[in-house]
Amino acid sequence: MLQITINGKQIEVPEGTTVLRAAEKAGINIPRLCDHKELTPYGGCRLCIVEVQGVRVPMASCTLPVSNGMVVNTETEALKKSRKFILSMLFSERNHFCPFCQVSGGDCELQNAAYHEEMTHWPIQPGWNNFVVDTSHPYFVLDNNRCILCRRCVRACAEMAGNFTLSVAERGAKSLVVADTDVPLGESTCIKCGSCVQVCPTGAIIDKTSAYQMHDKDLTEVKSICTGCSVGCSIKLMVRDNRIIRIEGGWHGSVNHGVLCEHGRYDPMNESRKRITTPLMKKDGKLEPVSWNEALKAVADQLRPLSGQKDGIAAIVSTKLPAETLTAFKDLFAHNEIVTTTEEGMPTASVTKFAEKQGSFEGKLDVLSNADTVLCIGVDAGRTHMVAGFMFKRNMPKGTRLINIDPEENELNDLANLYLKPKAGSDLALILGLQAVIVKEGLGRSPLALPDTDSLIQKAVEETGISRDQLTQTARVLANSITPVILFGKGITAQRDENLVEELYNLAVLVGAVDSERLGLLSLKGEANSLTATLLGLDQIFELNGHKAVFVALGDDYVSRSFVERVSKVSYLVVQASYESKLTAQADVVLPVTVWSEQEGHYINLDGRVQKTQKVFSAPENVRDNLAVLNELATRMNISLESNWKQAILARKSSVALN
Amino acid sequence: MQTKRAMILVSNDPESVRLGANELIQHLTEALIAYDLQDEVEISPLSNVGVSNILPLVAVYPEATVYGPVKAEDARFLVEEHLYKGRIANDLLAPPKHLSGNIGWLRAHKGYNPAEQRIVLERAGRIDPENIEEFIAENGYQALGKALTETTPEQVIETIEKSGLQGRGGAGFPTGRKWKFVRMAKGEKKYIICNADESEPGTFKDRIVLEGDPHTILEAMAIAGYALGADEGYIYIRGEYGLAYRRLQHAIEQAEEYGFLGKDIFETGFNFHIHLHTGAGAYVCGEETALIESIEGKRGEPRARPPYPVTHGLWNKPTLVNNVETLANIPAIIRNGAEWYRSFGTPSSPGTKVYTIMGNVNFTGVIEVPMGITLREVINIYAKGMKPGSILRMAQTGGSSGSIIPASLQDTPMDFESFRKAGVSLGSGALLICDQNTCIVDLVKVLLQFFRFESCGKCTPCRVGTQRAYEIVARISQGQGRLEDLDTLISLGQEMERAANCGLGQTAAVPIRDMLKHFRTETEAHILLGSCPAGKCEMLPEVEHV
Amino acid sequence: MNKPKIASDWICGCAGCHMSLLDMDERILKIVELADLRATPITDLKEPDESGVDVGILEGGVNNSANEEVAHKMRKRSKILVALGDCAVFGGVPAMRNLCGVEAALKRAYVEAESNEPGSQIPDDPELATMTQARAIHEVVPVDYNVPGCPPDADTIFYVLAELAQGRKPEIKDEYLHWH
Repeated sequence: MLQITINGKQIEVPEGTTVLRAAEKAGINIPRLCDHKELTPYGGCRLCIVEVQGVRVPMASCTLPVSNGMVVNTETEALKKSRKFILSMLFSERNHFCPFCQVSGGDCELQNAAYHEEMTHWPIQPGWNNFVVDTSHPYFVLDNNRCILCRRCVRACAEMAGNFTLSVAERGAKSLVVADTDVPLGESTCIKCGSCVQVCPTGAIIDKTSAYQMHDKDLTEVKSICTGCSVGCSIKLMVRDNRIIRIEGGWHGSVNHGVLCEHGRYDPMNESRKRITTPLMKKDGKLEPVSWNEALKAVADQLRPLSGQKDGIAAIVSTKLPAETLTAFKDLFAHNEIVTTTEEGMPTASVTKFAEKQGSFEGKLDVLSNADTVLCIGVDAGRTHMVAGFMFKRNMPKGTRLINIDPEENELNDLANLYLKPKAGSDLALILGLQAVIVKEGLGRSPLALPDTDSLIQKAVEETGISRDQLTQTARVLANSITPVILFGKGITAQRDENLVEELYNLAVLVGAVDSERLGLLSLKGEANSLTATLLGLDQIFELNGHKAVFVALGDDYVSRSFVERVSKVSYLVVQASYESKLTAQADVVLPVTVWSEQEGHYINLDGRVQKTQKVFSAPENVRDNLAVLNELATRMNISLESNWKQAILARKSSVALN
Repeated sequence: MQTKRAMILVSNDPESVRLGANELIQHLTEALIAYDLQDEVEISPLSNVGVSNILPLVAVYPEATVYGPVKAEDARFLVEEHLYKGRIANDLLAPPKHLSGNIGWLRAHKGYNPAEQRIVLERAGRIDPENIEEFIAENGYQALGKALTETTPEQVIETIEKSGLQGRGGAGFPTGRKWKFVRMAKGEKKYIICNADESEPGTFKDRIVLEGDPHTILEAMAIAGYALGADEGYIYIRGEYGLAYRRLQHAIEQAEEYGFLGKDIFETGFNFHIHLHTGAGAYVCGEETALIESIEGKRGEPRARPPYPVTHGLWNKPTLVNNVETLANIPAIIRNGAEWYRSFGTPSSPGTKVYTIMGNVNFTGVIEVPMGITLREVINIYAKGMKPGSILRMAQTGGSSGSIIPASLQDTPMDFESFRKAGVSLGSGALLICDQNTCIVDLVKVLLQFFRFESCGKCTPCRVGTQRAYEIVARISQGQGRLEDLDTLISLGQEMERAANCGLGQTAAVPIRDMLKHFRTETEAHILLGSCPAGKCEMLPEVEHV
Repeated sequence: MNKPKIASDWICGCAGCHMSLLDMDERILKIVELADLRATPITDLKEPDESGVDVGILEGGVNNSANEEVAHKMRKRSKILVALGDCAVFGGVPAMRNLCGVEAALKRAYVEAESNEPGSQIPDDPELATMTQARAIHEVVPVDYNVPGCPPDADTIFYVLAELAQGRKPEIKDEYLHWH
């Protein structure tokens, strides 16, 4: 621990702390612009300069490491003069029109900094040069007239999303934030994650959907979890008048630390489906509005006699629903053969099956932060579960290598150091081939008994269509890594072969991805509660065989055309859903229910973290909570829903430790 | 090298080549053959000789007769007269006034004036830079051999410390101390970087060494590697120095061939490899951390310091960054000892300094003189006085961020200590001597234009401050200034010095400060009288005020 | 009467700052009690007293030669000069035309705009003021107090006027230095 005295106050901080952070710890706020707590310090704006005893000129506190016994002053008259100077320079550089700017009035850090220094005018007027306003992007506007070149956006694009789209062109007074090689943002490699918008201190990067819709101080903040996929990012919702103005990545989130993907940030804002606002029942071939009582009575009457009967009820629930709802659903339809989810266990069944034999074998997402090689197999981390992809993309300039294996076109192939396109369905041969090369060349970290490495290699080459050289090179890169991580996804798990999972596990152990200290093997799974569903045993494939009734608890999830076809021929279809769809159009009874933001509940993400969503809004008047509807039905069907989800999920061994 | 009775040196720097030096060499060779002298007379190229008016230049030894400019068709005449008949070819003699000082340094590396002492430039211009054997014959790689086989790394560092050598790139930091810091820094992997970015306007001293004596830099870097525990070095050379780059590349190849670089040098088990890296036109990459960022493939923006490169440099490893001139002193110090080096210069600034002299003087070019001589001596002895009709008005010492001093300060000894006491900076050694026709406002305007263009743009004070300062001084030079502008400039300069991230921003204010300290009257004349006392600035018509 | 004299005028502004001044509602009676309101756009006198006033207030920026005359006159006749509102403080919304220049702005307004009759020309009557770059008051004459806002709110204007009327120095910060 090091001692530092700031403005006469003495505190202790760990080695490596910057003076700026130390001051924060001491309750002293040093004005700053380019610094952001989640990005590496830059030291460019110079607003945070402080006087250090014994040093001739002031130093930028955001980049200055504390040294033992340092004495610092942050509020001398000379420093106040310097801060006014820095700000006057910034205002004179571009064109800052506060009167009509979206962030003027509390949300602009530049304006706030100037007001803090009691500046009532600009000592130096700008030169009124015209700067580019880029409106080509579907979600953001990049207005260079407001940019202070703090480079937060460049750093966020690099350090949060790992996409490296934004950079600075030219130098000196000609510096300009540009996308790629100076192309319009809307035509660039931008993946619309919105990290840049979230960190921009001024109105230089503005989110079109939330502009002019109230200052942050008048909005209500609600912290919740994104239910877009199984990564489970923490989000912060900015709301007013019962609607979401903006979604931000939650800096507090242990999974994502503030970053979000396009889906988490914008899908809820782009919701265009029609909300169902009243229970509906088919009468004379047409869906008519009915009362809840009538609808529930009809459903209960219809399902009660069928419950437990062979080919009676097939019950399917969405994995986007909370654990409480999934547990209740399972209990409600426990006596029936088909009780499963819309995912039918594709992302998780084989993984959970293997866990029964092996115990918990998957690691946490954090293991990606210091992986020197990441092997992605059967997953496109550039398209789905994108935040997991960010976690290793952003380390690639530091040397992290990516090996990408996918029989289909994969977004990350351009980025990968090595990519393989094996023939579809040849995964087992490929994995065994890799193992064989490593064992044959003696590169394994731990022993693995393989019968005939030469024939395995031969088989791999023949079945996958990958050359021997490529196979060998891939194996060598993986085996020579110090901290490798293997990520796999639906490409593997949809084959429902736990042998595949087992061989991946063996490969992981062989190369030291999994050992007594690290668990560098994880599957990205699917939807928000895929893991919960499989732990509850809701992961079988369903095959309708003249079933008399199908109950689909869809929530706000989407439904595919093939799913609709598979369930449409049944004689009695009940759908519990939030939005109109082809499925609800075919239903006999439609029960309108809450969406993700109108209910609270627990979710277990892909690496075992148990998190809770918050109820942000009240549901529309005639719409009921998902869980409440199931409870109501249970009462009417004389079925008791006993299980507590916390216990229920312990019934099966989880492939990843739960916490 | 065979012993020959005479030697013809022909300048073949880019300008000489442009004027036909290669054809001249060919014709000379043919002429020698015609007179059957090829076994007795050697022809050797000579790199930049530090003059520009008499190229291509031909010097014949042992008489040390200098001819120039010599055309290809004169070659036969010269050979016939001087080498065959033994007479001076008078018609081709270089005019004496162009040579004063040069015949001297060509005669011996002591220089024309006994006060000139060539350590850094001891070989440049006298040997063929593309022939390692000529380097070896002139004590080349002796110092490296001595260091590796007779002294420990600590002893090497001690010698450099005792010599009192200070950085010659402009900062003047004690070299031995810097070497010690790197040696003491934790870590197995260390780097040696030679800063050959030389972008300070008017400075071309490093270029002479790189083009004329490249091996001495390789030798110095290897010695540093041995002393500090580094096995890899980089020479960061500005992109515009094409010839120097090629010479260095060739020198590295030759050195590796002869075993002075690479693995197991002098069979001591010491390995040292040198890579060349070119800059791409950014003055700011002369700043050591920006240079390092550039080698790492990033934007050339200076890093936040601390930590310093001595502990966290290239790839975050302990790194030594030294200027070309600094390094060029190392082999001589190792060969001759610290005491020998201290016999030149002043106690606080030992050794010599290479100066590039430019401006309204009779001799412009490069000289190497002991630290501590005064500007008056430079002008009157080495520069052969002001041009006819020119009176010394001001001089800028140390490059574009160097001090602009009035004639009244020309007796200040030029060493780091004295200059610092006088509030003046010595910088990199560029001396711009200006006469009465130079306008201070115009000069400062041009300097600020340079800084504005070269600012990397990372930090607010420099990125915007150089722009604003330029605008104000430009307005003053056009007669559109106001008295308040001078106060604005002072505070701009003060704040830039306080808050800028690196030397560029911090010292961009120096010319402004000196303009207002030493030349305030002339500046105010532009504002109050709307006229330029030196007659240089173009005044714009006054803007109508109501 | 020994009450301090206050005069105001508007140049290139939208009158919004004076409307905001009026938004102080009944508190204007307090101001009138403390000070003598002389020429303003909302009182009868049209020019600040030749003998001078204690406080001169200008709304709007200096955007043509006529504005310049007004600004110089107000500065000359006021002991203390206040720049009221963003246009006066930095140029405000009209300053946006500085991004394209006087020529292009005049051409757009008088010739190219969709609402112009074909054959419309830029007026060039010698009696008209010459348009210049849109400037802040402090670019033309020294200013003692800048009151930013578009418009500054009534509370701030009341505070500033009340302080000046009582011979004190208003401190424009904290709750008086903010944006709505």
